[in-house]
Amino acid sequence: MKPILQSFLRKRELVRQHIDSFNDFIENRLQAIVDETGIIETDVGVEVEFGRIRVNQAEALEADGSWHPIAPMEARLRNLSYLSRVFLEMRLRWNERETDFESIKIGQIPTMIKSKICNLHGKSDEELVELGEDPLDPGGYFIINGSERVLVTIEDLAPNKIILEKGEEYSKITEVAKVFSKRGGFRALTTVERDREGLLWVNFPSVPGSIPLVVMLRALGIETDREIMEVISEKPAYMHDILLNLEESASVKDTAMAMEVIGRKVAAGQAKEYRLKRAEQVIDRYLLPHIGVEPKDRLRKAYYLGRMALRVLELARGLRDPDDKDHYANKRLRLAGDLMEDLFRVAFYNLTRDIKYQLERSVVRGKEPSVYTAVRPDVLTERIRHALATGNWVGGRAGVSQLLDRTNYLSVVSHLRRVVSPLSRSQPHFEARDLHPTQFGRICPSETPEGPNCGLVKNLALACEFSTGVPGEELVPVLYEMGVKPIKRGV
Amino acid sequence: MRIIPKKVERIKFGLLSPEMIRKLAEVKIVTADTYDEDGYPIEGGLMDPRLGVVDPGLRCKTCGSRVGDCPGHFGRIELARPVIHVGYAKLINKILRSTCRECGRVLLPEEKIEEFREELKRARRIGKSDEPIVEELFKQARASKSCPHCGAEQKEIKFEKPTTFIEVVEGRQHRLSPIEVRERLERITDEDAEVMGFDVSVARPEWMVLTVLLVPPVTVRPSITLESGERSEDDLTHKLVDIIRINQRLEENMEAGAPQLIIEDLWELLQYHVTTYFNNEVAGVPPARHRSGRPLKTLAQRLKGKEGRFRSNLSGKRVNYSARTVISPDPNLSINEVGVPEIIARELTIPEIVTPMNIERLKKLVRNGPAKYPGANYVERPDGARLSLARVRDIDELLEKIEPGWKVHRHLIDGDIVLFNRQPSLHRMSIMAHEVKVLPYKTFRLNLCVCPPYNADFDGDEMNLHAIQSQEARAEARVLMRVQEQILSPRFGGPIIGGIHDHISGAYLLTLPGVRFTKEDAFHLLYASGIKKPLPEPEIVENGKEYYTGKQIFSLLLPEDLSLRYKAKVCRKCEVCREEECEYDAYVVIENGRLKCGIMDEKSFGAFAGVLLDRIVKDYGTDAAREFLDRVTKLVINFITWRGFSTGIDDEDLPEEAKERIAEILDDAERNVFELIRAYNDKILEQLPGRTLEETLEMRIMEVLSEARDKTGAIANEYLEREERRRRHENSARIMAVSGARGSLLNLTQMAACVGQQSVRGERIKRGYSGRTLPHFKVGDISARAKGFVRSSYKQGLSPLEFFFHNMGGREGLVDTAVRTSQSGYMQRRLINALQDLKVEYDHTVRDTRGVIVEFQHGEDGSDPSRTDWGKMVNVKNIVEKYARTEAE
Repeated sequence: MKPILQSFLRKRELVRQHIDSFNDFIENRLQAIVDETGIIETDVGVEVEFGRIRVNQAEALEADGSWHPIAPMEARLRNLSYLSRVFLEMRLRWNERETDFESIKIGQIPTMIKSKICNLHGKSDEELVELGEDPLDPGGYFIINGSERVLVTIEDLAPNKIILEKGEEYSKITEVAKVFSKRGGFRALTTVERDREGLLWVNFPSVPGSIPLVVMLRALGIETDREIMEVISEKPAYMHDILLNLEESASVKDTAMAMEVIGRKVAAGQAKEYRLKRAEQVIDRYLLPHIGVEPKDRLRKAYYLGRMALRVLELARGLRDPDDKDHYANKRLRLAGDLMEDLFRVAFYNLTRDIKYQLERSVVRGKEPSVYTAVRPDVLTERIRHALATGNWVGGRAGVSQLLDRTNYLSVVSHLRRVVSPLSRSQPHFEARDLHPTQFGRICPSETPEGPNCGLVKNLALACEFSTGVPGEELVPVLYEMGVKPIKRGV
Repeated sequence: MRIIPKKVERIKFGLLSPEMIRKLAEVKIVTADTYDEDGYPIEGGLMDPRLGVVDPGLRCKTCGSRVGDCPGHFGRIELARPVIHVGYAKLINKILRSTCRECGRVLLPEEKIEEFREELKRARRIGKSDEPIVEELFKQARASKSCPHCGAEQKEIKFEKPTTFIEVVEGRQHRLSPIEVRERLERITDEDAEVMGFDVSVARPEWMVLTVLLVPPVTVRPSITLESGERSEDDLTHKLVDIIRINQRLEENMEAGAPQLIIEDLWELLQYHVTTYFNNEVAGVPPARHRSGRPLKTLAQRLKGKEGRFRSNLSGKRVNYSARTVISPDPNLSINEVGVPEIIARELTIPEIVTPMNIERLKKLVRNGPAKYPGANYVERPDGARLSLARVRDIDELLEKIEPGWKVHRHLIDGDIVLFNRQPSLHRMSIMAHEVKVLPYKTFRLNLCVCPPYNADFDGDEMNLHAIQSQEARAEARVLMRVQEQILSPRFGGPIIGGIHDHISGAYLLTLPGVRFTKEDAFHLLYASGIKKPLPEPEIVENGKEYYTGKQIFSLLLPEDLSLRYKAKVCRKCEVCREEECEYDAYVVIENGRLKCGIMDEKSFGAFAGVLLDRIVKDYGTDAAREFLDRVTKLVINFITWRGFSTGIDDEDLPEEAKERIAEILDDAERNVFELIRAYNDKILEQLPGRTLEETLEMRIMEVLSEARDKTGAIANEYLEREERRRRHENSARIMAVSGARGSLLNLTQMAACVGQQSVRGERIKRGYSGRTLPHFKVGDISARAKGFVRSSYKQGLSPLEFFFHNMGGREGLVDTAVRTSQSGYMQRRLINALQDLKVEYDHTVRDTRGVIVEFQHGEDGSDPSRTDWGKMVNVKNIVEKYARTEAE
């Protein structure tokens, strides 16, 4: 056992997860966020198009205006922040003119120690000592205003996964299928509920109240009763359940009528055209956005809802057990890179709004629009730096970044491998605090604080490894190749 | 100044009428500015000097007193237009709906009103709340569509939170302005107001609509001067400034004849400011914010919640003359004593009145001053003025002046009575009175016997100490609260203060049969323990040498006429008790103060269990009990120190044979579990009544496994005992468990034989992967091992899987303790709030402060549990034995 562990740890440093995650953020996700944002359109006819994003090695700005590479120790000693400059290619388009792409500094982002953009990357022990660094220091944290900050891994319920639950006791709802549908930074909770009478209801954001499942399916283009049966289940066992629902919503006969029902809910008291437009918009944008946000995705959403409904019915029939929310298969850990991604997305969005505002202002004043004057890098830099310095993350979560515990080497490693659950510490949550068998080999069974955080704050097991998600674009063709049949109407 | 004592008989709450406000107010506030350029308060402003003084050295312009003496004086703001008081908006709504919009009468026929009036009278007479009656009246009155008095048709009134009233007149909504609301309230007759629960002498309905606003004195809202010299105003002042500003603008606009729309907007704004001035957390109203974005803390916020005036300042007071530090043990102190570090003794003082008898002693203390112990920190003149001795320059001059009638605040000295407390204070024994013993170093020291009532240990616990300031309180503390008076617990009527840990093992070892001392050793031991009593005749004489038994030595501490029989903790509960002939010496017989046979253990003088100690307290009084405890603990501690006592892992060593037998039992158990599972699978398992088949199986499995563990424990114990005898070497771990000093047989079992089944919430481990707990097992495996049975012992070590299961069980314990502490704290708070006023009166009834009887007799039997025999009113056996003895004599 010992030699195995030793060789494992020789290859895998203790905080590899954070560093890998951050590298991925720098190399891939930054670009993805920029691409997601697309083109900025202003009210004065000027457009900004973004190109490639690039991040420098960590540097510091001196009083004389010069930039020079900096070692982490220097940042610690001089109470500086250890940051890297970010450059983004941009070009302007207005009056059918187009400038060339220019690489512009849009701000600075914190550099994770020992990541690829850190100046310690790839240095030998001797070189590290030369730079004033402890060669045994694991890295994986940031330096903000001279203090070392850790982004603590957050344990979340897995997104884009159907989770079955029993309804609360004595409530009208008896069974629920939930999905935290996540697309980019947007999370939309979609549920299919079954009430005591056996009726199925769909809930999703921006729609007040519940929509009958049948109405929802019709709105998505599954019009006939026959098709609806197909979408949910053709097994005779569920015939009765489905018929009950079909009957209940029999008055809504086709897609147009269903759209009207939804339109009345989302835009009550508005003009009819607007109601329909809004209904379509809401369905595309807020219903199961992880499947897609375009009209062509509606069919697939319908099948997904059908799948959720079937699970609910199976649970009601006792053919399925409710999902164990503490099962580690239903958990995802959000590492430094993921957290930085959330933060950067918001900061970048703020920056684009600022660019838009600056452009509009300068054009209104009759100046020639210029990307140089329109980009104020501090908008991005300060937003990110402030979040890291205080731990107040986007979405109102506090304590995400913490001061690295330097009591001793073990406390450092433990802190960097800490996992916190977002559950509130004031409620008992007995089940969530238990040591779950699926944590075997992943989470240390012994190390957890005593007191109110017991079982909610955890630490990674020694040999725990992280797997990262695979992009859907890579996976889907493989699945089809393996013989998965695509969803088509009227199969 | 002569103090006239007054007693508050009752408090009546009412509303302030505009006239009353004008009378109360010294100043009419007219300007929103507070200070002029030179930093002086502006007359007619919010910091008007007539509102009281906050700056030291100045005199109040109204009453002429200085800072501490001037209570502050009210001002007033004349509102340009009336506004609704948010706090009463709900009540106004009810009244508007229940009274006529024309004549202002209650919307009920005269007879009905009369009925309610009678009912109210009745309720008041018997001290019942009138709220339900008034509510009923509102409910009935609201229903009428037209006025029974003037016949006017009633319109629907809508209440839009927080302060808007809308009347629906022929389908059109008409907003009632506060002026209209006030007019309607004014029309209500005094008689009608009274049936609606008003006492019109202190509260007329229309006073709920404000026309004049009372401005609190500056002492209520002092401004603070920052280091930079900048003044920072209180939140209330800020809010009042807003009110005045809008009020002025409203007035100006009205005078200038501005359009109705503008006036209404300003009026609305005034309403907003007055609303947030009273309560800044009204639902539906955006909270008024400070420039920094922090919501202002206005009147309601000052009072509400945990940080509010009530919970943090009134029910949670802070005190002087108290100290807190880490505690540590000292077996040489009496249970009544507490060791106080000298630095604390120098800081805490006790006021002593100078008399001709003590004047010399006190003068000496005063001369020593605050720095030299024992000294004094203050002297107090008969007029109450205090002189700090740290600041007195000419001590001799002061000493000349001191005469009887003065007070000297002297340092704590040995023998002073103080209160000692450890949180959480869950029962009355959490605060007890101790006598001071001033000691060096920096921790409080306490006798180990008082650990149980405080639930204290020495892993860093801190405790509080309070020096009592009045003679009456000291007397009361000494008589009622002294540790020795608390030996018997009011919870179960046995001693809660008593021997723990080494006290018990020490007594056990001392009184074991065969323990003997030479005369020298006996003297040594007794001398070290401070026992001065003649030795009896030696019990053993061997080869011409005299020996004393341990029991003889122990007997020296017992009262001379004490006789008692009981079964010790070590008793094996044999089917036939052989009493004096007990082979384990577990039958204790004390006759006339002599321990004839039996071993002293937890049952003799342990906390929560000591029968002997219990007898001594009840028959010989608390003084004797204290003395007994002090001596016995000292004796056994000295003995066990002299003799030596230690435990190690070899205490859990088992011979091969035992291990084999244990393995066999566990194999059997696991086989039995398989049998059960097979029976279940074959559907031949017999179902238990009221259980499903699955539950039955689980229960049977748990049963088999726990039985198996108990069996292994018994075997382990058997072998440990046998080894002990064979090798004539005692097993300390076993001794501690058997005598009740620490640990249990279960602990021993787990260490030596088998840890046993791990459970989460009373069940075997069941969560995990689908169909199995861990992937190391096959799907559907419900055998003992797969569901958390730990076969190994702690000494053997646990396998990785066992370790994980054990962690699961352990985690539950950790979570439980963490969650329980917070819950019990809250429970405690609620209980105290509910019961704090209850008290046993001289007629034995339990009543609250109003005199309402809660119990006719305390506990329904009028008994004091601490004077009962473990909860039973009388111990008949004891009395019979006692009289049989006296008879025999």
